[in-house]
Amino acid sequence: MLDIRDLTKQFGKGDSAVTALHQVSLSIAEGEFFTLLGPSGCGKTTLLRLIAGFEPPSGGALVLDGKDIALMPPNQRPVNTVFQSYALFPHMTVAQNVGFALEAQGRPKAEVARVVEKMLALVQMTHLRDRKSAALSGGQQQRVALARALAPQPRILLLDEPLSALDMKLRKEMQVELKRLQQETGLTFIFVTHDQEEALTMSDRIAVMNGGRLQQIASPRELYDLPENRFVASFIGESNFLMAQKLAGMIEIEGSKTALPSGFAAAYDGPVIVMIRPEHVVLGQGPSDAIRLTAQVERLVYFGTDTHIHMRLRDGTPLVARVQNALRGGAIAKVGDSVPVAFPQDALRLLPDTEA
Amino acid sequence: MGEAPNTERDAQNADARQRWRLALPAVTIIMVFSILPLIVVVLYSVLTPGDYGNVRWVFSTEGWFSVLFERDIFDDTLSLSDAHLTILARSVGLSLLTTALTLIFGVPTAWFIATRPPAARAFWLFLVTIPFWTNLLVRTIAVQEMIRSEGVFNRLFLWLGLIDQPIQMMFTNFAVLLGMAYVFLPLMVLPVFAAVEKFDFRLAEAGYDLYASRLFCLRKVILPLVRPGIIAGSILVFVPSLGAYVTPRIMGGGKSMMLGNLIEMQFGQGRNWPLGAALSITLTLLVLIALIYYTRLTSGRQGRSHG
Repeated sequence: MLDIRDLTKQFGKGDSAVTALHQVSLSIAEGEFFTLLGPSGCGKTTLLRLIAGFEPPSGGALVLDGKDIALMPPNQRPVNTVFQSYALFPHMTVAQNVGFALEAQGRPKAEVARVVEKMLALVQMTHLRDRKSAALSGGQQQRVALARALAPQPRILLLDEPLSALDMKLRKEMQVELKRLQQETGLTFIFVTHDQEEALTMSDRIAVMNGGRLQQIASPRELYDLPENRFVASFIGESNFLMAQKLAGMIEIEGSKTALPSGFAAAYDGPVIVMIRPEHVVLGQGPSDAIRLTAQVERLVYFGTDTHIHMRLRDGTPLVARVQNALRGGAIAKVGDSVPVAFPQDALRLLPDTEA
Repeated sequence: MGEAPNTERDAQNADARQRWRLALPAVTIIMVFSILPLIVVVLYSVLTPGDYGNVRWVFSTEGWFSVLFERDIFDDTLSLSDAHLTILARSVGLSLLTTALTLIFGVPTAWFIATRPPAARAFWLFLVTIPFWTNLLVRTIAVQEMIRSEGVFNRLFLWLGLIDQPIQMMFTNFAVLLGMAYVFLPLMVLPVFAAVEKFDFRLAEAGYDLYASRLFCLRKVILPLVRPGIIAGSILVFVPSLGAYVTPRIMGGGKSMMLGNLIEMQFGQGRNWPLGAALSITLTLLVLIALIYYTRLTSGRQGRSHG
């Protein structure tokens, strides 16, 4: 439905030019909950503003339903935004805010009133319809902003970190609420966030961005299980990175070898980076195909459901294991202990050694 | 036990006395420089004019009467004073036009300045405030220099061949209007700038995102939110325009007088102090009406918008 092709954005000119987006290409399907995820300054908000039309691209195409909209002004694009600051009109009531787009389009009064009521019911704000928007709480403003953007029935709803201003509890509620709204309306959502947990729990697909470039586009599960590079692996979830040698279909870490995990073709032999999630690190012998090493325990951090064991391998590489706490278990290990650790073969991921 | 209430009351009395003592300087200043002169003006407006200026201490309503009416010298018939009414209407009309003109030029200027980067803003504001440090007389005569018959504009138009002979611009309502609009323009720019600077441009962006045309956005989002600044600027321009003296005197001469000049005349060559005093109070009342109207305008809308 939306095809983004080689989209590039530069700010400034000449030597001081900053490239915020490097030839980004991606396709978003109808009805998808698509998330742009990355640290601040990665270009995700710039990409969103380009889709909304607030900035013209420096190059590339933005094709919506077969039509290039890259240079179309925002008030002609069937795309609406929920702003990070909500940007509700403070001098208008809740109902006036929600009806704004329809009035701007010159729809008849009766239709405006009908749609406003429908939208207010959808976000459960009917009881506050005559309240000034400045007199609402953060969560209520959030709902009004959503209703306002949904009212004109856009083809795509853009959400620019809409939950970042809410407290933890409210944010969790709104995550569920947003997902419900998206499923109820069947609308395409493009959601921008820097919060990986938010991205994982809500999205159909996630595009991870860094430094103005796309890093990986995948479903949440794929992104977590099969990160394509070190950035994605470290940005999503926690990871251990280990220096390894690849040699004749085997990988070797500190003298312990195992067969190359399937799916990682041997392109060349030499040093590689191996990634393993802390919850996959086994304390003890592990399965027979595991890489077995010894590590020294440096610190134990208790998290309730599990304990994080911070260790160091013989060569000084830090290693974290996450072990679930048993109901009546004693101490898993003691600080200073030397413990055997095992990395099951199928938990190992090879990453290209390009980014440090 | 009977002592306690007394000491408390004493303390309260002492406190009240202390407050009065502290307020005394301010109260004195207000009394001496604001209330007392006003009382003098009101008093003079109901006395009889002296032969060589000043007043005779005889009660008379003739001063107030002359504000709007005149008595025929020959047959004593009453008629509305055409001259005074013309000047009154011109004062109100020109002040309204001045306000409108400063709005037309001041709002875009303020908008321009408020949308510059912060460092550039200081520079532009500096330029706008320069006239404040320049003598009013000098500024007004500078405008005169532009539009007099041998002035910059007439010579330029003659040289370009647009006109055959100089256009008479001085000593017309146009000249007064131009002079006042120029002199009072910074008073419009500054409050509007302050309001626009506070305006959250993300709101305009939101409006634009929600299918609003630029005009719709301006009307429904921007204007309502910068309105307090526009109203403040309008008061700051309208009120001094109504009482303007120097600018109409220089730009309008005897032909295009305003209320301020008429009042001055009564105290000078007119030798009719009671009429001058009555006219002064009329001016004050006009300003008061304008202020009440404006205050209604702001408190009504603003109160609701921030409710």
